[in-house]
Amino acid sequence: MRTLLSAIVGLFFVLPCITSELHAQGSQRYSISGYVKDASSGEALIGASVFIKETMRGTATNVYGYYVINVEPGAQTLAMSFIGYEDFLMPIDVTKDLKVNINAVPKAIQGKVVEVVGTRTGENTEDTRMGTTELDAQKLSTLPALLGEVDILKTIQFLPGVASNGEGNSGFYVRGGGPDQNLILLDDATVYNASHLFGFFSVFNADAVKNIELIKGGMPANYGGRISSVLDINMRDGNNKSFHGQGGIGLISSRLTLEGPIVKDRSSFIVSGRRTYIDVVTKPFINPESAFSGSGYYFYDLNAKANYQLSDKDRVFVSGYFGRDVFDFSGSNEGDPRFRIPWGNATVAARWNHVFGPKLFMNTTATFSDYSFAFQADQDQFEFELFSGIKDYGLKVDLSHYPNARHRLKYGGQYIYHIYTTSTVRVSSGDTDFNIDTPPKLHAHETALYVMDDFDVTDELRINAGVRLSTFAHVGPFTLYDLDENGRATGTTDFTSGEPISSYAALEPRISLRYRLGPNGSVKASYNRGQQYVHLASFGSTPLPTDVWIPSSSNVRPQIGTQYAAGYFRDLFDGVFETSVEGYYKTFDNLIEYAEGASPQNNGNTNYDAQLVFGEGYSYGAEFFVKKRTGKVNGWLGYTWSKTMRQFPDINEGREFPSRWDRRNDLSFVLAYEPNKRWSYGATFIYATGQAVTLPVNRYFFEGRVVSEYTERNGYRMVPYHRLDLAATLHNRTLRTVSDPITGEETEITKRWHSSWTFAVYNAYNRANPYFIYFDASGNPGNNSFQVVAKQVSLFSILPSVTWNFNF
Amino acid sequence: MELQLLSSMRHLNLSILAALALTLVACEKEITVDLPETEPRVVVEGVIETGAPPVVILTRTQAYFAPTSLASIAASFISEATVTVFDGSTTHVLDRVCSSAIPEELLEEAAAATGIDVNLLANANICIWTKLDMSLLGEAGRSYRLEVQADNKNLRATTTIPNAVPLDSLWFRLAQQQPGDDSLGFIWARLSDPDTIGNHYRWLAQRTNAGPDGVAKDANFVAPFFSVFEDRYTNGLTFDFNFNRGARPFSNAEDDENEERGYFKRGDTVIVKLVSLDRASFKFYESFQSNVASAGDVFSNPANVISNVEGGLGVWSGWGSSLRTVICQP
Repeated sequence: MRTLLSAIVGLFFVLPCITSELHAQGSQRYSISGYVKDASSGEALIGASVFIKETMRGTATNVYGYYVINVEPGAQTLAMSFIGYEDFLMPIDVTKDLKVNINAVPKAIQGKVVEVVGTRTGENTEDTRMGTTELDAQKLSTLPALLGEVDILKTIQFLPGVASNGEGNSGFYVRGGGPDQNLILLDDATVYNASHLFGFFSVFNADAVKNIELIKGGMPANYGGRISSVLDINMRDGNNKSFHGQGGIGLISSRLTLEGPIVKDRSSFIVSGRRTYIDVVTKPFINPESAFSGSGYYFYDLNAKANYQLSDKDRVFVSGYFGRDVFDFSGSNEGDPRFRIPWGNATVAARWNHVFGPKLFMNTTATFSDYSFAFQADQDQFEFELFSGIKDYGLKVDLSHYPNARHRLKYGGQYIYHIYTTSTVRVSSGDTDFNIDTPPKLHAHETALYVMDDFDVTDELRINAGVRLSTFAHVGPFTLYDLDENGRATGTTDFTSGEPISSYAALEPRISLRYRLGPNGSVKASYNRGQQYVHLASFGSTPLPTDVWIPSSSNVRPQIGTQYAAGYFRDLFDGVFETSVEGYYKTFDNLIEYAEGASPQNNGNTNYDAQLVFGEGYSYGAEFFVKKRTGKVNGWLGYTWSKTMRQFPDINEGREFPSRWDRRNDLSFVLAYEPNKRWSYGATFIYATGQAVTLPVNRYFFEGRVVSEYTERNGYRMVPYHRLDLAATLHNRTLRTVSDPITGEETEITKRWHSSWTFAVYNAYNRANPYFIYFDASGNPGNNSFQVVAKQVSLFSILPSVTWNFNF
Repeated sequence: MELQLLSSMRHLNLSILAALALTLVACEKEITVDLPETEPRVVVEGVIETGAPPVVILTRTQAYFAPTSLASIAASFISEATVTVFDGSTTHVLDRVCSSAIPEELLEEAAAATGIDVNLLANANICIWTKLDMSLLGEAGRSYRLEVQADNKNLRATTTIPNAVPLDSLWFRLAQQQPGDDSLGFIWARLSDPDTIGNHYRWLAQRTNAGPDGVAKDANFVAPFFSVFEDRYTNGLTFDFNFNRGARPFSNAEDDENEERGYFKRGDTVIVKLVSLDRASFKFYESFQSNVASAGDVFSNPANVISNVEGGLGVWSGWGSSLRTVICQP
């Protein structure tokens, strides 16, 4: 720990020295820096473009709304542009470093040009980033959503290279990577299980979310710990000028968000809650005699955030998320079994922004994440409990350094203390406790140091090069079982507190470059390699809350992901359209799966990794993307061709097999249309190659029962999936007319209270998409009544919904 | 039942999801599925139990959507094979007994003894292999090697009969799962597991009292659907557990279709057979249960049955059996 801290401190002191030397050699230049904020709410604007009008050189604001640009001395015009806001222009005469905070004025709330996705002009072709998409959460509400629940993760699934886990599921898979390979950050705190209701809804309440960024390739060095993608979600700060609220009432849940100043202009808060009421709604329809009468299910989310501007240079934020799913099952009779399955996430992040000077911006974040799952069952005198979970305590320091016009540096360090509960079982029968050892919690230290430079080599060539040094150490206290050939414990080896058990370190190179081809086009290429020290092992074929997070160990080696990508990016019609073509090739090493026939009840009295098998995989593909950014009609069209395979010596007899999320063809279409101030419309369409599933090929009888024989893992394809969703939103009138009592003159003023109705239809042409296929054998072979049939089950038919939303 | 609770937990958990999904579900339809054709494999269903001659039934796998007529099912039974058992000193060639040679009045008894449907026995020539002269009887602690030549394939398997572990006691307790009922219940048992780890058990039960038709309610031992357990968590412990009543596959007996299904009834006389198995046999029965239970369960990873037969499928299992009787009075 001490060596790590000194390394971090050393890094901070050394780098500024090197870069200030570089700076001294350059010509005399000054910097302009500051924050860009929404003039009406004080909310920091992320990704707003700030530039010098004469040279068109500039930058985009970071996630705190901060920007720095380096300029020549003299008179010039500072400009800011951001979709949805009035352009900002300010003549300045630069003779020294300047600090300019910009209050961006929103365009009229209604009737503005609606964008589904907002990014600044030219970023598509200007930036070195590839495979990156930003979404504005506040703009998703006009798109159709399942049962009216606006869902960030499901919107992401419409992007090329991102696959969903099936009907209605919020789980997502990026470029052939597994569900555990996505780094999901909520205000810098890791979210381990991002879904509710067995995957049907994501945990992110769009009302509390400001900005979403998905990185699926060319991952910059400031992110690490996951090898496939980063989903970086920032919560809103809350309005620091006046008190506001918004909310909605939907078919299955209701939401309420309140925000306002704590100290006007300096401090604000936001609190947002959501609860489902499926349990309340369905109760009257369940027969009290039925087997389900004692069952109930609900989930809730609570987001809260507060921030305080201590000075021009310092700002602190505290944010938290708490969400729980609770499922109860009990039969109607005394002797029936009862189950209770609670699970959920909690995250807390405390952040401190500090501006050291115009060229050095620091963010320090302390985070806490907790994911826990429990399964409790009892019947008669028997009790059974299973828990698993993960707890993280993290500290992270990130510095952004803008030494001169050509270099944008980032460096920093991160430390996470993990505590894993891999899977604990407790069983008792009356007074007899079965002798299941309580597996010790696993303790691990994860560290990372990184440095990266976004560097303009020439006007055409920009390189983003970085490196990340990551380490992981599993330490005691821990008890390792010595196992016999049947996997049964014959003895144990004990490790004392802090004693190292296994450790890993890796240097992760990241490089991406952009070469400009004319004013509207560029080619980009990237290479990155990452290492991941946590693994998700799933007993089922679909992600479930029962899935267990497992740390790397002497047996489970870290997952390694390597990705090569290249693409061509072009803006058309003055940036109204953004287009891109990207190709990628990705390899995965040290993937894990449970062995065939492994089961949770065999996880006791043995090493937590005893039932695992190991393998590798690869994925390659091409992604085509066209987006119309502005206008009354906007949206995007994405198409992906890809192939994703896995190979495990102990699965499928060692033969290569398609991954569960192998989608050869995937087409998605998102459209928003706002013809006038009252109505807006949204439509989405998706087409995907059928999911690869394993089906039995042969059957035989044993003791008179039908046994299935499987040959090829994922050897069968279900029919393709396609679906069209539609939505229409009716806004109430935003203006009301008042007449002056003296003159009788009529004027229109904006109402404080706005409300809207969203009518949506899920699966508009009622396609029976396959959710799963099963084979059913019934009847008696002895009397010629035996029958075998294949059945396809579809989940959602055409499903209308209505949601009422309001804000004030 | 706690043992069932353990082993069926995954399925319960997942079936909760399935139930939940099905509350939203729109439709289910029959489809046709094109499956690749593979060569049939030979399946062994072989047991050698303490004090009894071995019994071996041989079948072959069929394509999942092969015809399901009686004739087609009958054709999956193998009638031409050479079957031998080596007991460590002698190689015994087993005798073939076919249903065509069984007098009609004994078919019911043969069906009960083999678990093969009586109609199948009557309508097709179905064979088993055993030792008619009783010159080979299972002994605890002994290993037996089975060799089979059938369908131009050679199959081999070895099993050991473990020492039987007797139950300490048996009793009957009402289940009280049906409103107003005071006659249905489960059989409870107390077992003292030996001190060494590695005991594996299978539970079977037979009701010997007469049903309404005047014959014994069960013609033979019946295993409940989840019938095996091990001492992974109970090594050396004395503990109580229970089992529900199993039904024969495809049973259309009245008490397997009415409220008595799954329960023993006040007044039943029940013989419980607790079988000790070696680990390979246990893994087979455990994965067999799981394979059958997960058919149609999309949320579980499909897994083949873990066979101890080289060159084929199925099991060759040595059973160390102990019996105990209980009369169902709460």
